[in-house]
Amino acid sequence: MAAPPEPGEPEERKLLGFLDVENTPCARHSILYGSLGSVVAGFGHFLFTSRIRRSCDVGVGGFILVTLGCWFHCRYNYAKQRIQERIAREEIKKKILYEGTHLDPERKHNGSSSN
Amino acid sequence: MAHAAQVGLQDATSPIMEELITFHDHALMIIFLICFLVLYALFLTLTTKLTNTNISDAQEMETIWTILPAIILVLIALPSLRILYMTDEVNDPSLTIKSIGHQWYWTYEYTDYGGLIFNSYMLPPLFLEPGDLRLLDVDNRVVLPIETPIRMMITSQDVLHSWAVPTLGLKTDAIPGRLNQTTFTATRPGVYYGQCSEICGANHSFMPIVLELIPLKIFEMGPVFTL
Repeated sequence: MAAPPEPGEPEERKLLGFLDVENTPCARHSILYGSLGSVVAGFGHFLFTSRIRRSCDVGVGGFILVTLGCWFHCRYNYAKQRIQERIAREEIKKKILYEGTHLDPERKHNGSSSN
Repeated sequence: MAHAAQVGLQDATSPIMEELITFHDHALMIIFLICFLVLYALFLTLTTKLTNTNISDAQEMETIWTILPAIILVLIALPSLRILYMTDEVNDPSLTIKSIGHQWYWTYEYTDYGGLIFNSYMLPPLFLEPGDLRLLDVDNRVVLPIETPIRMMITSQDVLHSWAVPTLGLKTDAIPGRLNQTTFTATRPGVYYGQCSEICGANHSFMPIVLELIPLKIFEMGPVFTL
């Protein structure tokens, strides 16, 4: 996340100068969907009502709600995935360390299932 | 270490720092959206043609803008408290190192399995080798094992200092007459830098902290410290 750009790589760009959408998980995805939601909501409202000001308000509200919704959904799945990765990593490590011994997780699991 | 003009956090080297980065991203997204909303409201206020000042009775709006910020604060506070209590967990450390702040260097004591005590001074510019980092490298690094819970006991001999290593998410004040404790578990090997984080005199900026994290097997082999 904080590694400096290599000489051949393009410079990292940040949204509005500070929001690191490239390296923050789920940020780019949420902002893009939020922008799409904003355009759809605002333009759709304008088509039905022909009220410019209110359509802009709906657009802004749509951006905020869609971005937040996508953000929480994506971060929840990302957190679940990280936990699963950590469990898998620990199990692989345990398997490598204890393979063939009485502490082998597979032996314990097979023993309990045969009982 | 940080690269030039870096604004964001450094890559995490401990599980706590990973959680802190996650929380930072979460809070930053909420802050960004609130700022966006406020900017939009400001823009509307500056461009409105409505000049009627006899507006009253907006009960629904007032209810919404009271309850919604409370909900947002709860959404920020819950992960924050979770991490706060997580940082206070002590998971049976395998190694205890003492770090003592002086003006203007650090002393480290490895007293668990022997009596190793050494000072860690910043390398003066004249003594730098090619590839060394100016104002960051030290003569004696703190060598520690990875994937091992480590306890740091931090204090000071004279004035206030602060022992900080950003990549591990650590910052603990070194207070004379008081022993502060912090624990961490590093997840990857490497050399990590920090700097004194409490103003302590003329050379406050010139007493860095350098951790050299190595695999436990190599650490157990014995004398790996360059003294």
